[in-house]
Amino acid sequence: MNTLLSARALMGLSLAFHTVFTPLGIGMPLLLLLAEGVGLKTGDPRYRRLARSWTPVVGLLFAVGAVSGTVISFELGLLWPKFMAYAGGIIGMPFSLEGFAFFTEAIFLAIYIYGWDRLSPLAHWLCSIPLSISAAISAVFVIAANAWMNEPAGFKLVDGKVTDVNPWAAMFNRAWFHEALHGTLASYVTTGFAVAAVYAFLIYRGRGGKQAHLGLKVAMAMAAIAIPLQIVSGDLSARAVATDQPIKFAAMEAQQTTQAGAPLRIGGLPLGSETKYPVEIPKGLSLLGFGNVNATVTGLDSVPPADRPNEPMTHLSFDMMVGSGFAMLFIGAWFWWSWWRRRASFVPGRWLLRAVAAGGVLGFVAIEAGWFVTELGRQPWLVHGYFRTSQGVTDRGGIEVFFALFTLLYIVISAGLVAALIRWPRQADDDDGPPTSARSEGRVDPHVS
Amino acid sequence: MSLEQGAGAVAVAAIVMYTIFAGADFGGGIWTLLAWGPRKGEQRNALERAIGPVWETNHVWLILLVVTLFVAFPAAYAAIFTALYVPLFIALLGIVARGAAFAFRHYSTSGSGLARLSLRPFSVASVLTPFAFGVTIGAVTGGHIRVDGANVASGAFAGWLEPFSLLCGLIGLLLCALLAAAYMIPRTDGDLQRDFRRRAIASSLALGVVTTAAIPIAHWNARAFADELTIGSVLAVMAATACVGLATLVLLSRGHSTWVPVFAAATAAGVVLSWALAQSPHLITPGLTLQQAAAPDFTVKSFLIALPFGSAILVPSLVLLYFTFSRDVFHDAETPVGEPPAKP
Repeated sequence: MNTLLSARALMGLSLAFHTVFTPLGIGMPLLLLLAEGVGLKTGDPRYRRLARSWTPVVGLLFAVGAVSGTVISFELGLLWPKFMAYAGGIIGMPFSLEGFAFFTEAIFLAIYIYGWDRLSPLAHWLCSIPLSISAAISAVFVIAANAWMNEPAGFKLVDGKVTDVNPWAAMFNRAWFHEALHGTLASYVTTGFAVAAVYAFLIYRGRGGKQAHLGLKVAMAMAAIAIPLQIVSGDLSARAVATDQPIKFAAMEAQQTTQAGAPLRIGGLPLGSETKYPVEIPKGLSLLGFGNVNATVTGLDSVPPADRPNEPMTHLSFDMMVGSGFAMLFIGAWFWWSWWRRRASFVPGRWLLRAVAAGGVLGFVAIEAGWFVTELGRQPWLVHGYFRTSQGVTDRGGIEVFFALFTLLYIVISAGLVAALIRWPRQADDDDGPPTSARSEGRVDPHVS
Repeated sequence: MSLEQGAGAVAVAAIVMYTIFAGADFGGGIWTLLAWGPRKGEQRNALERAIGPVWETNHVWLILLVVTLFVAFPAAYAAIFTALYVPLFIALLGIVARGAAFAFRHYSTSGSGLARLSLRPFSVASVLTPFAFGVTIGAVTGGHIRVDGANVASGAFAGWLEPFSLLCGLIGLLLCALLAAAYMIPRTDGDLQRDFRRRAIASSLALGVVTTAAIPIAHWNARAFADELTIGSVLAVMAATACVGLATLVLLSRGHSTWVPVFAAATAAGVVLSWALAQSPHLITPGLTLQQAAAPDFTVKSFLIALPFGSAILVPSLVLLYFTFSRDVFHDAETPVGEPPAKP
């Protein structure tokens, strides 16, 4: 492997791994806030017990998320030093603000996890507010930095030199709002479905008590509120990309040539450098992208081949994201419709449980695929229109060795996570157990080694 | 103070905080690895309890350092991460392995296979990372890395395999070991406290010897840095650090507890500050200064303006965290962690 390819592989691997944990790091605080808040308001101790039973899992996942995020901050320098020398002064600002937000999140998470018995219930719940806010804000800052790579702003290029740097204008670029909104809502959707899926699986296997049914409803409530909003925000993003990043839009939609009244292409087979035989909905793309059935959509052929992203991968990732999103919308609607018909006597059916469990996977599929679309669709540019990915890479050798080492490390950590999480249901489904067992807190009984 | 000196001070403050907080967590891993004698298990449990609530927060000082570097000194960030990519990759592997292993150990059932399997990677990675960071500090100081702005002219192995850099790695390890053992003293009592006291004394003696030896070695192996050591302000901070270090040793050997952590932390801060003062105004000696590496003024200014706003949220939160858990110290005093844990 050459250096560029190994650097992209390592960065991609590290981000893909990190992206499993980030939505949970953003979504779980809100879910804890909701569950514990309802418990405080209604005085029903089951909600508090529910939040408490999630706490060790949140602690574990947050820890892995935090270290895998550190990897990103290092790899920006280790793999893309030339990019950082070029862009650090322009776009470092949201990263440093994210540092503060993440710091605040880590502090309140520690207080939350270890504070169950040290703080009053009200004070403990209050901690979940700064926790949720700082988690969401840190996501917004990081996404704003990514948005700048798609929509560079806040600097001028004079004779190849960067001048007139304005880090605030760079941060509040044209893409920051729709990307941040879409990314944050995605976290709530993914978390809601992931938690619901665990409970659905337990109930399906006959291992779920009353707590599992309650947990399923709380998680599905968050998921079902977030998913329609997410689809609306997706439309907002797509329209913005259609106007501001026409080539990425063309790759997402497999639009090879510039065309008026372009059809919406769904799916298809990746043959060579094109997606062949998609399902076509006449004039659909012009309508969705520009709100006009006869609007002209820019095709990939408007730029030289060297400036085009990988169309089949971008297009199929995009369809996978949208497909998963609509599937989750359907599952959410199905769940609450079933509930509405029976209310108090609602017991989810076998097929509904299967669907909810699948929704847990779909959330992660959608979020990874959506990230693929943003990043692959931007290629071959690192900073869209200014700086190519190949210009940013390190000139050091041996990156493939570190790629191999990190792959191995991530495999081991994933195995460890599975081994740790698989035990969790045992402590979660004891309905009549004491509400405050040592196990359900952050820490476990002391180890004898 | 110029803008870039202000940003440089922020970076040094982040290194100091990272050393005195996260350094102790690494030290916890070092003593977990070196745990021996009849109270081996208790030592490890006590260390784990102390690290548990705070390690993630402590770790964020590193993130703060990294972002300060790349916002305010992007050329230095690029050059350091290019020139020293091998030790920094090693540090990173250590950070990931250690964080994950600690989380597995901490959140899994005691005595489970996973908890046992995680012990070794956690403790080995705790040695690897501070050593690699120490080596990195030694390498940017040692004068063997050739840079032209953000571009690095010297090879992949230049700078960090020098004796002076390796010695800095050792200093990093000893600082962590001292801090962890010193912080454990007020949290424990009886035999367990005696164990940590002995470890603290041994590491403070070793630290004294190694930092003293670093001066002649710098003269031979890191000439540009050694010349800076004769500047008045550097000498003053070094002398003060030596006094605080000696005071720590005296407190330790006389059986004091309460003030030991404060003095140990001050010693560690002094070592970092002595280095930083001698290193200033260079980010990489001799080729890259704060001024040469600095981002455009408007960016550095914005960063320095954003800082107090961020701190206004951060500092009270930190105080709340350490206040919530400092009660643990007193709580532990009632039920010393040195006692055998109740069997479930």
